[in-house]
Amino acid sequence: MLAAWYLTTTATGFIDPARFPAPDESWDALRQIVFAGYADARLHEHILHSTELVLMGFVAAVSVGLPLGLAMGWSRTAEALINPAFLLIRPIPPLAWIPLAIVWLGLGDGAKVLVIWFAAFVPSVINSYAGVRAIEPHMIEAARMLGVSRWMLVREVLVPGALPLIFTGLRLSLQACWTTLVAGELIGAIAGLGRVLQQGALDIFPAMILVGMAGVALCGGLMTGALGWIESRAMPWRRA
Amino acid sequence: MKRIAFAVAFAAAATGASAQQPVEIKVSYQPALYWSLPFHIASEKGWWAELGLRPVFSTFPAGVPQIAASAAKSWDVGGTGSVPAVLGAARYKLMTIGITNDESHGNALLATAAKADAFMRNPASMKGQTIVLTSNSTGDYAVQSCLAKAGLKKADVTIKSMGQAEIISAMSSSNADLGGLWAPNIYTLEEKAGAKLICSGKDAGAIVPGAIVVRAEYAKEQPQNVARFLAIYLRAQKWSMAHRSEAIAMMKKFYEQGGVSISEASMHKEFDTRPVYDLAGQLKIMHRPAGGASEVDGWMTKIGEFMQASGTFAQVPAASGYITDEYLRMVERDPKLKEFANRAN
Amino acid sequence: MAGAAYRLPLPRARVLVLSAIGIAGFFGAWTLVALSGLVQPQFLPTPLAVLDKFVDLTRQPFVGYTLQQHLLSSMGRFGAGFGLAVAIGIPLGLLMGWFRRLDAIVTPLFDALRFVAPIAWVPFAALWFGTGIGGPVLIIFSGAFPPCVINAYRGAKFVEPRFIEAARTLGAGHLRIITEVLLPASVPSIVAGLRVSAGLGWQSLVGAELIVASSGIGYLMVKGQSNISTTIVMSGMIAIGIVGVAIDVALRALEARVAR
Repeated sequence: MLAAWYLTTTATGFIDPARFPAPDESWDALRQIVFAGYADARLHEHILHSTELVLMGFVAAVSVGLPLGLAMGWSRTAEALINPAFLLIRPIPPLAWIPLAIVWLGLGDGAKVLVIWFAAFVPSVINSYAGVRAIEPHMIEAARMLGVSRWMLVREVLVPGALPLIFTGLRLSLQACWTTLVAGELIGAIAGLGRVLQQGALDIFPAMILVGMAGVALCGGLMTGALGWIESRAMPWRRA
Repeated sequence: MKRIAFAVAFAAAATGASAQQPVEIKVSYQPALYWSLPFHIASEKGWWAELGLRPVFSTFPAGVPQIAASAAKSWDVGGTGSVPAVLGAARYKLMTIGITNDESHGNALLATAAKADAFMRNPASMKGQTIVLTSNSTGDYAVQSCLAKAGLKKADVTIKSMGQAEIISAMSSSNADLGGLWAPNIYTLEEKAGAKLICSGKDAGAIVPGAIVVRAEYAKEQPQNVARFLAIYLRAQKWSMAHRSEAIAMMKKFYEQGGVSISEASMHKEFDTRPVYDLAGQLKIMHRPAGGASEVDGWMTKIGEFMQASGTFAQVPAASGYITDEYLRMVERDPKLKEFANRAN
Repeated sequence: MAGAAYRLPLPRARVLVLSAIGIAGFFGAWTLVALSGLVQPQFLPTPLAVLDKFVDLTRQPFVGYTLQQHLLSSMGRFGAGFGLAVAIGIPLGLLMGWFRRLDAIVTPLFDALRFVAPIAWVPFAALWFGTGIGGPVLIIFSGAFPPCVINAYRGAKFVEPRFIEAARTLGAGHLRIITEVLLPASVPSIVAGLRVSAGLGWQSLVGAELIVASSGIGYLMVKGQSNISTTIVMSGMIAIGIVGVAIDVALRALEARVAR
């Protein structure tokens, strides 16, 4: 594939280098950002900052979304109360929150985390809800019969039972966080992969955009891998 | 005899008309801007057809996407800011063939009402502050020139780049104190959020022109159309100077179409603070004395140096490589076009 | 203790009442915060103010078109991008599910590109397509494409082997197996994927229009932002939400019919 890339750009000039970067241009851009820096920071600083934001948004979203979804799955009453409001928020794209995020929270990390939060919130609610729904009723009945307390029920039956789908939700949330990151960093980030992409766009520097995309893809992949590892440890009874 | 003559004339006119099918030309600009008003005026007055052109317009929210689209040959001619024009020259052989206006007053550093006075009294107090602006734009250039005037370096402040809409949001909600904007966004922020202009490009001694641009390839293929396009633009500008109140009325409509509504006073200010150049004026500022540089060369090269310092490109594009008065001279040489361009009606 | 009957649906009337309370609570809280002055009034308008503006936008053009016209413009772009994603994604997914080699080649590339936000393609969209509809279509495509492929792929891969065996013994070639065995069996998965795909595609649209457009709902929102009009921005959000829900409902109905 690399060979194909090289052939179509540099060797034959089939694809105009101004419109899609050639391998050597991209390599140069990579070296520039790793050593000299681009958009006011070096690559590792960008990655660090982006990872920070994603983790903040992810944790914030999951800590609200997960319990909410569980509650909605467990109690029809809770579902009837919360669902309508949830359905209103749900279809709004995270990007659409940017104008409001800026005027409410300014240009700092808060606004960016808010935008990422909306992206991750929805999948985590939906999937923990589905996870609870998926638990076989007789497990609950059995636990009931044994007279376990509410808290134990949640801890020992509900959460483990819903775990597979909860993890699916976590994975989707994480992905949503990364894809929304770029949008979040439209709100004036100083450093971050989104900022690299944005500056690359403003400079019309396709090679750097490619480097930024690769960075996002790599980090996203690594985080998902980490999540998968946690998943296999949390659910040893399940072959992934 | 008279009847025959009439019939012949009529036939000639008919065949003449059908032989003159208007030629399509793709024109790009940014909406609701002072320098794109002439395109609107020309359309309203039907002047494109008079020179046998049929424009197909495309609009862009800012210079950068406009320049990027030129790579895809989405448009042939247009107007844009000088900073995007230099970017286009560096990346895509975009040629600058004229100046839309001197918008040094129309690109400025603004501050929120609360902080403005302090910054104006002591510009050096901007050190360590955050300034929001749109990268690689005339606004960016104006702000950096203002910083230089205040004796500050880029590293003395924190610059955050975002679109004009975001800047307006941030400043109106007091989430940012300082911002770089271009007209009419300046007026929007002044009128709707009470912001104050601290320093314009003009104040900082920077000349910020707007550029009339054309794709090099197209210019080579259709030089006649480029010359006609220039003549139409010049005529529309001349007309707007001669018929201010009518032009303001058209401006109001044009701006509203682009989502901008500012007071009439501000619209007058646009006219008052942004000089334009007629054919003779354009030729003068673009003229290169034997082996030397023209005024425009000087302005654009300075902008190029600013962009180089920002890291946008490694080498400043040579003015003689992309700035040319060739098409202006074509208009000058052709009596029909010259007369057309100088009409004030 | 509530819970023993936790699975039983509540009586309809109860659901309606609770839903009404929930919605009322939501709008009530919104109005309270808006009026409390916690946030400047122009940055958090009351629900009524937003509704008012919403209606106004359907009557008076803003930046050249009424709300409905902007919506139509956006939906046109969405249709094109989504249509393309479906037309390419589903066959590709099926082929990848069937041909191991193709799978091996495409999957790594696909996994890498999945994380790239559709909005990141905007600069390339401008470079390659300029102002043509190609630009927004590319961005919507990049959002809508992955679920189409993934779900078609999963559907194809998990088809019961005996069906494939049966077709093989009957002498069916690759093409026939794909179209007559894999495709029908994958339909539930594909349709489920369509819902996710449409959702992502619609959301990507907004991103695209925030940057390079002269009509459409995203564009409406940006211009509202430039005019410091939070009511316009929120009206845009509501419009996006409504259409998003409509698309989802339509596809869910399709899913239910297919599942029968």
